[in-house]
Formats: sequence, C-alpha cells, structure tokens
Amino acid sequence: MNLMKVNATLLHNEPVRIGFIPLIDCAPFVIAQEKGFFEDEGVNVILSKEASWASIRDKVAFNVLDGAHMLASMPIAASLGIGTIKTAIQTSFTVSHNGNGITVGNVLYDQLQKYSKSSEDVRNGVALKRLIDNREKGEPALRFAIVYPYSSHNYQLRDWMSRAGIDSDTDVNIVVIPPVKMVDALKSGEIDGYCVGEPWNSLAVEQGVGHMLVTGYEIWGSTPEKVFGVNSSWAEQNEPAHLAVIRALETACVWVDDKRNQTELLNILSHPDYLNCTVGQLVYGFGAIKPKGQFDWPMNAYQRFSGREVNQPLPSYALWVMGQMRRWQQLGEVQSLNEVAEQVYRQDLYFKAFGVDVEINHGWRLNKDEESAWLNKVANGVIRLHPDGILKGFDE
Amino acid sequence: MPAAPEKELTVMLVDNEPARAAIVEQAMTDSGYRVIRRLENAKNLTEAVNQYQPDMVIIDIESPDRDMLENMSRLTQDNPRPIVMFAEEDDSRHVEAAIRAGVSAYVVDGVNSGSVKALLQVAIARFREFQALRSELESVKSQLEDRKLIDKAKGLIMKHQQCDEPAAYKALRKLAMDRSQRMTDVARNIISVMELMGDAK
Repeated sequence: MNLMKVNATLLHNEPVRIGFIPLIDCAPFVIAQEKGFFEDEGVNVILSKEASWASIRDKVAFNVLDGAHMLASMPIAASLGIGTIKTAIQTSFTVSHNGNGITVGNVLYDQLQKYSKSSEDVRNGVALKRLIDNREKGEPALRFAIVYPYSSHNYQLRDWMSRAGIDSDTDVNIVVIPPVKMVDALKSGEIDGYCVGEPWNSLAVEQGVGHMLVTGYEIWGSTPEKVFGVNSSWAEQNEPAHLAVIRALETACVWVDDKRNQTELLNILSHPDYLNCTVGQLVYGFGAIKPKGQFDWPMNAYQRFSGREVNQPLPSYALWVMGQMRRWQQLGEVQSLNEVAEQVYRQDLYFKAFGVDVEINHGWRLNKDEESAWLNKVANGVIRLHPDGILKGFDE
Repeated sequence: MPAAPEKELTVMLVDNEPARAAIVEQAMTDSGYRVIRRLENAKNLTEAVNQYQPDMVIIDIESPDRDMLENMSRLTQDNPRPIVMFAEEDDSRHVEAAIRAGVSAYVVDGVNSGSVKALLQVAIARFREFQALRSELESVKSQLEDRKLIDKAKGLIMKHQQCDEPAAYKALRKLAMDRSQRMTDVARNIISVMELMGDAK
C-alpha cells in the first residue's frame, strides 16, 4: 500500500509547521492536507490557521512556523527588512496568480455615475478623479481599504488610481482592514471602497452592498498573488521536506483547478477549521461576477493555481515588487536588485523539487549598471508591466 | 532624545478576551505602568492610537486587527512600530518568547528599551498564566465529559449483561487494557455500537 511513498522516512521526522490565512487562495494548502498529498510525499504537515499577515511574518521569522501561505511581496519585504526585522524568507513555489478586485460601496457608486459618460469612465478611475476634483473643500477624503501595506492589493489600488491622475497619498485615505471585515466596513460606511481578494468582492456585489469596478488582472495582467514562503535557515536544513511540500502543493494546485472537484473543494474550504463560512458564500469567488447596475459588466477575477507558468517562482516579479515598494515610499536604496530577486525567488529549488534538469534562464536580470535607473523608472510609472502580465515582462 | 523614565511608559492594551485584558492591566498597574486605554475590539483602533499616542501597544497575536497597526508604522516615524523591529541580536529571545506566548507589541521609537522589555515580561507572564488557566479549565471539562461517557457505557453494559456496577466497570477496564485503548475511547465505541442496535437509551 505504501509503495508510492518513496519518502516515507520523512514522516518520522519533525512535522513541518505551515501557517495559512483563511482566504480562497489557501486552497492548495488545505487540499494537500485533506486529500493526503502531503502524506503521499512522505511529509508530515501541521497546518495552522493564522489571523493576520503580521502574525504569519513574525512566526515564520522566529521559527514558530517553518513556512506559510504568504503574499508574494512578503518574503521580499522580510528579506529587505521593510516593516520588520531583516529575516531571510524565501519562496520556490507560487501558489496562485490573480484574484483581486476593487469594489466601491453603493453610495460612492451612485456618485460616480454622475461623473461618467460610459462604464469605461467608472472602470478606469476617471469618474473617481472627477468626483474627487469636484469635492467641497473640507469634505473628508474618501477612505479605501487594503489588507496589508506590503501587498499587491495596495500596489494595484494605488497604480489604478495613479493612472487616472489620483494621488493615492493625498487625494484619498488608504487604511488597512482584515479581509473578513471588509464587506461589513463597506456596508457601515466606515470605508468607501477597497481592494481585496476573492470572495470579498463578489460577496459585496451579491449582497447588494457594493459594485466591483475592476479586477487586479485587468490592472496588471497575470501576476503572482500568493506564494509558499519559508524561513531560509529552515529550508537550508530541511531541503527534502521543503521539496516534498512543494510537490504536494503542485498536486493540490492541479486538483483545485479541476472543475470536477469544485463541489468537494467548496465543501472542504467552508469547514470551520478553514474558511468557516457557507458554501454559498464561496461559490461566487470561483465564478464570473454578474452585473448589478447600469455601469457594471460581467467580471472574472481570473484566479489560477496550476501550471508551470503559475507555480514557477519569477524573479522578474520580485524586481517589480521592489519597484512598487520604491514607488510608494516603502523602500530606499537596495544594494543589488538582481541579487535580492534571485535569493528570495529561488527558481533552482523549484526545478530540483521536480527533478527537472534545465538551464535556468537568467534573461530577467537587469543590467548591473542600470538597476537604480530601472527602479526609478518603475517608481515614476515609466516602466509598466506588459498588459498580459509578468510572464511577458515589462513595457517602457 | 533622552530616554523616558521607566515608570512613565504609557500603554494601550487591545485584547478581545476581557478576562485576560483585566489580568494584564492589573499586573501592569501593579508594576507601575499606566494603561491609558483598554480596547476589547479594534474598531477605530488606528484613530485611538492617534488620539492617545501610547508609547506601546500590546495586542493579542491572534487578533486579525494587527495588520491595521502595520499600516500605521509606515505613515510617520512617531507611530508605533512592530516590536520585532527592535529585536536586536541580544534581545531577540524576548521577542521570540512574546510570540510564543501570544503577545505582540508595537513600540514608539526612542522609548527606553529596558522599560519595554520589562513591560513585555509582565504581559508575557500574564498571557502564559491565562493560557495555563484556560488549558486547565479545558482539561477539567474534558475529564467531566470522560466521566459522563464512562458512566453511560457502564449503564449500557449493566443493562445488557444484567450485571452490577463494579462488574460493568471491570469489563470496561479489561476491554480497554486488551485493546490498549483509553477507557473513554472504549466507552465511546460501546455507546455507538449500542446506538446502532437501537439500545442506547
């Protein structure tokens, strides 16, 4: 019965402690556990539900956890010592691409209609810009929420605003609210809009609380969203276990993307140990969002889990994240962008996990003398992501 | 900037566990610190921090509202920053102990690090104490549950085998020893088998 379990010896080793945040994109971790994929790889995993990204970061940094479901920018922030003590955290597996969206409350949506000639104006932020320009002096700034300062949500929201000419530092007030509280905060008027992952956009639409304006996929194209981040010293000392977890996650990602498994997936995810919600709340996060108003259109957050183009760590994305950190005043000088990207987004271990013997492509590397100029161009919005996403690189 | 005198440190406490918050606050007051605000939930947390300007915020590590404070540390230097940023080589053990005890903290730059450490110790001790109390309570609770299960199984055996209580207990214990299972597990099995047979009344 255990013939397939070539790594059965790992089971006798220390368990691997992995943290996750109850969001749809923790699915690969939950499925790898529930469907026995970790066990099939011979690794004993203890999943631990965490309440905040800060908690994930601190516990991985101080070895209370070995690794975790992380925002793709977190290992970079930790390795650079941004917002925390400098700790080597790395990733060799991207868990998901996309899944974010920007939603505004009904009150703001109704106001936006007055400033738009077509749905396009609402979608690209032009209506919001006109509304902000026409606000009375002394009126409190609109409040938008994100889930964490070092996140794609923060960067995508600010990028979207900046393209419409909105200064996200002065024209609006950006606050942090935990994802589970977003819809309520929108409903109570505590905030006017937010950028968050699914299902919190589709839920607001379904509950008639707000309208989704644009998806993260429309803003940036396909980009990494969550990764499996690990403490680098743990990874160094436990390579077989690390690679086994990566293989199990890959199997889980394929399983999660298979439409035939959706009913079972939703049932498992909704369990109190995981997302602790109803299947009905989750199902919207996996489908197209239906228009509910005159200026709405059908949308899909385009969340993806499987395939090498999704799972492979992309150091070019690490560069892009550092560009965003610089753009929004989180990052000062960096010794070497290339080095950080290479040390944090470890492609070599991804290939090693699957026994793939390939020449690693270093085409993403920046010209050594132009690193600093490149960073400034990203910060000024001159260099952008290719409209299709990070796999196609950058446009200038 | 001169270091703040040790006893002047002001603290804001955020904990949705009112009993624990009360214990921690009392301990801090006893140690001579001033808890200027105790919040049970994080509604308007950032506003409260802005308004009261505490030197240190202590918050349950399992609170989803921690990420709100993370954003504050970016805005200005005067706002509290996560304690982990202050974990220099020599005192990283304190921070690790705090994380393990479930305490997280945010500290304003320039505050006397000795006071911060001392205060953290108070919080860690109380959090641990509370955790110990809670697990004790849980273990008492589960012992009670175990007792109930065993009593129920005993009753079923007595009824089924038409024997007295000591005999039923002996049978149960023997079964547990033979199978090297816990008495409760055997009791649970017996109850479910009897239920299956429609006999568990």
